[in-house]
Amino acid sequence: MSHGSGGRGGPDAPEHRRNRTARLRDRIERHALAGLTVATVAVLAVVFYYPVGTVLVESVVVDGAVTLGVFVDLLRDPFYFGELARLFAGESPLTVARALVDPDRRLGIVGFTAYQAALSTVASVALGLPAAYLLARFEFPGRRTLRSLTIVPFVLPSIMVAVGFVATFGRNGTLNALLAAVGLGPVELMFSLEAIVIAHAFYNAPLVARVTTAAWESVDAGAVETARSLGAGPLRSFLDVVAPQVYPAVLMGAALTFVFTFGTFPIVLALGGFELATVEVFVYRLARDLNYAEAAALAVVELVISLAVLGAYLRYEARHTVTSRGVRPLPRRPLVPSAPTAGALLARLGLGVYGVVAALVFLAPIASMVLASVTGGDGTLTLDHYRFLVERQRTGAAFQVRPWPAIRNSLVFAAASALVALPMGVVVAVVTTRRYRGRKLVDAVAMAPFAVSGILVGLGLLRGLVFGVEVAGWRIAVAGSAAIVAAHAVAGYPFVVRTVAPGLESLDRSLIESARALGASRARVLGDVELPLVWPGVVAGAAFAVAISMGEFTATVVLATGADAYTMPVAIERFIGRRLGPATAMGCVLLVVTGLSFVVIERLGGEYDGI
Amino acid sequence: MGSERDERGGEGEPPIAVELEGVGKRYDGTVAVEDVDLAVREGEFFTLVGPSGCGKTTTLRLIAGFEEPTAGTVRFGGRDVSGVPPEGRNVGVVFQNYALFPHMTVGENVGYGLRFSDPPGDVTRAERVRDLLDLVDLPGTADRDPESLSGGQRQRVAMARALAPGPDLLLLDEPMSALDARLRERLRLQVREIQRELGITTVYVTHDQEEALSVSDRVAVMRGGTPEQVAEPRTVYRRPASRFVAEFVGDNNVFEGVVAGESGDGENGDEDGDREGPVSVPVDVDGATLRVAVGGNDRATDGDPGIGDRIVFCVRPQHLRVGRTENGLEATVESAEFLGETTRIHLAWGDRELLVRTEDPLSGTVVVGFDPADAHVIGVDGR
Repeated sequence: MSHGSGGRGGPDAPEHRRNRTARLRDRIERHALAGLTVATVAVLAVVFYYPVGTVLVESVVVDGAVTLGVFVDLLRDPFYFGELARLFAGESPLTVARALVDPDRRLGIVGFTAYQAALSTVASVALGLPAAYLLARFEFPGRRTLRSLTIVPFVLPSIMVAVGFVATFGRNGTLNALLAAVGLGPVELMFSLEAIVIAHAFYNAPLVARVTTAAWESVDAGAVETARSLGAGPLRSFLDVVAPQVYPAVLMGAALTFVFTFGTFPIVLALGGFELATVEVFVYRLARDLNYAEAAALAVVELVISLAVLGAYLRYEARHTVTSRGVRPLPRRPLVPSAPTAGALLARLGLGVYGVVAALVFLAPIASMVLASVTGGDGTLTLDHYRFLVERQRTGAAFQVRPWPAIRNSLVFAAASALVALPMGVVVAVVTTRRYRGRKLVDAVAMAPFAVSGILVGLGLLRGLVFGVEVAGWRIAVAGSAAIVAAHAVAGYPFVVRTVAPGLESLDRSLIESARALGASRARVLGDVELPLVWPGVVAGAAFAVAISMGEFTATVVLATGADAYTMPVAIERFIGRRLGPATAMGCVLLVVTGLSFVVIERLGGEYDGI
Repeated sequence: MGSERDERGGEGEPPIAVELEGVGKRYDGTVAVEDVDLAVREGEFFTLVGPSGCGKTTTLRLIAGFEEPTAGTVRFGGRDVSGVPPEGRNVGVVFQNYALFPHMTVGENVGYGLRFSDPPGDVTRAERVRDLLDLVDLPGTADRDPESLSGGQRQRVAMARALAPGPDLLLLDEPMSALDARLRERLRLQVREIQRELGITTVYVTHDQEEALSVSDRVAVMRGGTPEQVAEPRTVYRRPASRFVAEFVGDNNVFEGVVAGESGDGENGDEDGDREGPVSVPVDVDGATLRVAVGGNDRATDGDPGIGDRIVFCVRPQHLRVGRTENGLEATVESAEFLGETTRIHLAWGDRELLVRTEDPLSGTVVVGFDPADAHVIGVDGR
């Protein structure tokens, strides 16, 4: 209100003008939300649905003719599907089943991907559940901090985690150094399934712990007390009352872990070497070899499997959602029992052992990476690796990876993609928290980028936009860096939705209606009432968007084919094969930058339980 | 509309401010309200009352513009407002849960509506906010945090906020039901006083029939999405139009029976024979013959009921007197509730329950009776 409280009793002319500008502003405001929605849809269509669509089309159109030949070949190829390929080729299910139980069975790429995802899921649940038990049922200093630390993997770039694992489990890693110190021979964990599974557990166990803790905390103590008063013992009341409310969350954590690890890329690329390749890695190789049709078909197969798992989970969730919010959560026990009993001691002993294992899995990679970055080849402390980075920056050739462009690109892409992701995420959050017919569909369409692999998005953007599109005789091409920003925004905005939507959903509807009755337009209510009230969620969403962009590797590596659009994660990957030292040094730089994003999230205390 | 003075008192009734014609609202096959015809006059305090799920809140939301009707028309001052969003309707709304903006001070809350329109009269926004806080008896609270106020104070801030832009219509959705009984009574008087002072047309929603009777100019008793009776409180209480209204508004004893004789048969129930009273008919209720006054100005009965007609009538507990032999019914005391000024006694008469009000507790078997003129005929169903 530029006139402040003035404007009363003033001359007619300014009053008249004020009315006109006010009317214009009203008109803009009335359509602001619709306009933003249209813009969001347009951005999604251009940078996600169109590019991904072109890839899908490429998999079924060969030489201008529609064919499913590529798929049929793929399904019948034992290289991809192992023994299952014989089933698709028409052999009897019995023969195939017999072949599958044979010790010499071949799994193929797809089979191996599912196999490692299943193992990773089991490991993540096994590592995540004790943490949930600890966080939900015990009180100890630092509990809240530990609880919020479970969000860290989401902001840790996966390629950095991979570097940490190489630094820990590699031939010259910390583990072998420790083993050598006690006189044990070196172990070879690199390029093994174990390394991949542990790295995946590092990533996903905190997710399982988060969702399970949230569910456990929402169990009403009154329900347990009722069960006890009706005659159920502690174990029985746990099984009958607590477990049914907790295990849908465990299942959700498991389903998400499976989907994430099924589409894993940077970790397998860095830790799996050449022998162990997942579907995503192979899609990347095929695309790099310009075999786009097969790459696209394989990506589609991957997408179908991921969506099938997610769909099965969502069907289950729809039938089993317990909406009751615990009015009074179960009381937490002190970690140091006042009157130790055998049972209490045993539980705490178990947690102690778990604590050691967890510290190893979660802290060792980061610590090893930091350590490796300041350790020379002869085992002495040195800043050589950082000096190498500075040196490379000064003297590096144009084709060589230099650190400053990587840092600069990462920061610029992060800022730009957050600027795109934030309004998109807020708009989607607003649109999906309204109640109307077809909301589920809108939700699914808007959240699809969560489930679609980064390679597919990157490939689509590369083929669809970077290589250019013919529109009415004009060739429209997008710069690689713009495409990277688009890919990062698409990867980041679902996190904004997830941090903003729960707050909007739980806002009292009468607040919005009061504001509207007082004369505020829908867009005005959003700005005056809703966003200020969910502000921590908005800031947390922005921090997520920045962190996701900072750590995004998959789509970036596809799009950063040009010499100068690489980011820090891409730089690390290019270093990792040849020089672990500089890779760890670069990893530390990335750690500091993403660590700052985490501080922002933590300080502003945003609601990110939705993730 | 929008006059600050009550313009009633001129000849004829004040013009209609809000009109609902054939209004209905369905959600995915379930009917929230149906066939709602209402007309609220300017300056009137109009109350929608009914049990939960009767459609009263939906009706209010349709007037506010939070919902659009699926049938019928809502008019403000004769103008169809369908498609007009809430912000274009110039209404003030107060919700049950206050709905104060928690991130704004009390003053900012009250002043929020003034961001979109100039304050009425020749005052600044700050003056308007102060005036309204004075009006609701909360002077000097402008800089306070809504969280620091008590429930009753928050409700008054919500009221001030709704009134600040000078709305044509005030809509109150169960504004008292989160407050304790004593505060509720005080606050509803205050609301009524403010409403009279401003002369603002008000639609009030409550499930509390006592509240509805005490503050309203007129009341619409709703059931199953439709108003069953729209009338002044006294009329609703004394001459309920349906069995539901009779039982919902206050305690009541409802009897169903069959007319057993001609009107005027036997002596008139009124001892004062020469008074121009309503004539009464004998009605057979579960084997007992009760005399019930009919005709008069009862709108429910056009003409006298004939023999054999089914008839429904009601007698208020306070009219059912212990020891009265006229229309005497022998009943046994089941239980008693001490309410302070009176005691509510539950009696069993055959397999029916009767309610009476006495000052003293009763026990054992008693005879209760009523004056035929105190019976109100709800409906007559000619065969």
